[in-house]
Amino acid sequence: MTNLPGGTTEFVRALWGIEVRVRALSAGADELVQRRPRFVAANLWLPATPLVGVPGSFRDYLFAACAHISAHLRFGAPRFQIKSLKPAQIAIISLLEDARVERLAITHYPGLKKLWAPYYEARADGAKTSLSLLARLARALHDDAYVDDDSWVSKGRRLFLEGRAEWHDPSFCRRIGSALGNDLGQMRVQFNSKDYAVQPAYRDDNIGPWQFEQEQSEDGTQLESEGVRPVESETATSNQRERGAPEAHQKLDANGSERASGLRLAATADAPLVTRHPEWDYVIQRERPGFCSVLERPVVDGDAARVAATLSRYAPARKRLERSALRLAHRRPLRVRRLLDGDRLDLPAAVAAVVARAGGTAPDPRVYRRVRFQFEPPALLLLLDLSESLNAVPPGANTTLLELARGASALLATSLAGVAGDLAIHGFSSNGRHDVGYFRFKDFDEPYDDRARARLAGMRANLSTRLGSALRHAGQALAARRAARKLLLVVSDGEPSDIDVYDPKYLIFDAKQATISNRRRGVTSFCVGLDANAEESVTRIFGAGNYSLLDQLESLPERLAQVYVRLSA
Amino acid sequence: MSAASVVSVAPVVSEGPLDAFRIRDEPYYLALADEVSLFEAAYAARLPVMLKGPTGCGKTRFVQHMAWRLRRPLITVACNEEMSASDLLGRYLLEDGATRWQDGPLTIAARSGAICYLDEVVEARQDTLVVIHPLTDDRRLLSLPARSEALKAHPEFHLVVSHNPGYQSALKDLKPSTKQRFGAIEFDYPARSQEIEILVHETALAKDLAGRLVSVAEAARRLKGHGLDEGISTRMLVHAGSLIRQGIAAEAACQMALVRPLSDDPDLVSALTASVRACL
Repeated sequence: MTNLPGGTTEFVRALWGIEVRVRALSAGADELVQRRPRFVAANLWLPATPLVGVPGSFRDYLFAACAHISAHLRFGAPRFQIKSLKPAQIAIISLLEDARVERLAITHYPGLKKLWAPYYEARADGAKTSLSLLARLARALHDDAYVDDDSWVSKGRRLFLEGRAEWHDPSFCRRIGSALGNDLGQMRVQFNSKDYAVQPAYRDDNIGPWQFEQEQSEDGTQLESEGVRPVESETATSNQRERGAPEAHQKLDANGSERASGLRLAATADAPLVTRHPEWDYVIQRERPGFCSVLERPVVDGDAARVAATLSRYAPARKRLERSALRLAHRRPLRVRRLLDGDRLDLPAAVAAVVARAGGTAPDPRVYRRVRFQFEPPALLLLLDLSESLNAVPPGANTTLLELARGASALLATSLAGVAGDLAIHGFSSNGRHDVGYFRFKDFDEPYDDRARARLAGMRANLSTRLGSALRHAGQALAARRAARKLLLVVSDGEPSDIDVYDPKYLIFDAKQATISNRRRGVTSFCVGLDANAEESVTRIFGAGNYSLLDQLESLPERLAQVYVRLSA
Repeated sequence: MSAASVVSVAPVVSEGPLDAFRIRDEPYYLALADEVSLFEAAYAARLPVMLKGPTGCGKTRFVQHMAWRLRRPLITVACNEEMSASDLLGRYLLEDGATRWQDGPLTIAARSGAICYLDEVVEARQDTLVVIHPLTDDRRLLSLPARSEALKAHPEFHLVVSHNPGYQSALKDLKPSTKQRFGAIEFDYPARSQEIEILVHETALAKDLAGRLVSVAEAARRLKGHGLDEGISTRMLVHAGSLIRQGIAAEAACQMALVRPLSDDPDLVSALTASVRACL
């Protein structure tokens, strides 16, 4: 799916406090009519690529379209009944309705008029076709300064402006529109609804305000299937699961999560601990509570010696890292007072000493102070994305990404053992929302010993990346630490995906939401990105400046260490 | 709201006449609800007051106004993490070989019957704030251990603190033992007509343009919790208004004073930019 420029839903919310879902208009829709934005209730479909011949930037166009549709949502009536109206009348009533809701919106936000103005291109000359006359009427209703001496356009404008007092009545457009439509018929101007495209181009295609009697269900389902359900597949089985699932969840939740895990995975020998996390659905702009299950799975031990061998490859990096770690330990200023010897006089102590001497008692000779730099290491959780893509061997390297991630973890754990306080190394890989596997190779408060090394050695990569759930789970673990700063360092290609999600934006927005809620819990997230081309999604998830993309993937261990040093400083 | 009229006290206060802390001209304040009478009642009962509310909604201006109204000097302390108890209480200084006790801002206020205003009180370390405890119950006593003095607060002394519960993390909160000593007045952004009135007064903008700026703020406030931590404050509107008074075009002024300071997220910035254009 093509990505639309962001900010449109926020814009509509800002204007009217209305929550809308915005999606790209599927390509098929422009085969019949010229592409126009469309809305049905609060669902918006916007062109994903610029329209031919539309002035200004595409982003401005989209905001103009959103402003127009949101005016319908705010001031529109219940949908019009078509009844016996002819196509020309429908087009004219729609046009009047467009003008009506825009006028009302402009009374709240006068700048909207300027936002829409560039798209009115109709001129009061040329052939009087139905297309041009409608475009001219649209302009005449928008712009009081526009001069048009056509009698039909003038009549339309006069009726519309004279009815100013009735603008709040939605049936107003229907009344004057039917009359104008009859006039157009009497003028013998042909109206062909197949050729008709609403002018100006930012306006919607007139589907929204109308109730289509027979087509209603067909139309509705067609629209729905255009992309309302990006989460689950449309197949019967998954629909069934989707419907059955919430009930099942409630029952399971009532019985507690251990019980749930027992029910769900009765076949597994050691049942993993299940934690449910919400998932953000950007389409409905809401969290789906308890939507994903994160399963803490035991790690199968590998050969600890192998990790030590991997580490030997990074000897120079390790030395550098240990040095910077030591330097770090001397950062943060801390005023140490009442010293026998120091850089500066500790004024209160000095005064006290002089006072004591004046009073004839023995002064305290500790009258100096010194600024010492003290390092408060953040609690660090290294979260590894262990999806299938990690098994790839990056070009130019002689080892898999997984091996590099293992090396990076070992390097960090070894070099920082002396300085870093709390360090945990976790990983995840998912297989649908009911099975987000979560692995703890080294947990907080655990020493980095042979057992941890064995677990690191047992690290494997498979399945998919449901990043948001893993971020929430890791954030929860990190938020419980006592450190003043909590750092979640994520190693991932930055492109979340899972088998039950077809809209790539869905998991990106969920991960973004997870990052935001982690930040609210005092957890700072930073991503070391393995895919240099994933900047867009990584920026979106972690925010500008909160990531570092690797061009040379072999440098992952060194880079990860550098990032840690930079962030901890 | 304008920086020049805020009386600020650095941790070390030079002992001068309290006149410097008196507010002679009425600071403009538009009462939004019953906060003036609430404050007056709390003052009469000597109940310390906590002002809560989003940043830039007029808490500080309210205190200045009340100090003027009650004819009390106002001593403001901007709290920070480095602040120690002696920064509030006072310390000995050396002068010509002799020592001299220097009252801190809190002590000055308690001694002379001023209103002491601790701005952003949660920024101070919790152990520092404990010094206000005996002062804020019926003892009204300030203990100065360095001087071996127990100072009985002046009958007119009043303590006011401000705090914005919005963006402080759980790490930074007041101890319950501190919180419970205060009566609290909750502030929010003014209602539309009031905010326009404030803006017109502060920036001498035309009422129509002021109304459009307020629309921008209202739009941004709808995004609080949807990407924004805090909406556009009245203070920010005043900033935008003063830029416009300097001859900057309204849209550019809004960009500078309202949109850019608020968010770095490109999507939000473009949503806010479009909202500004819709409002102007």
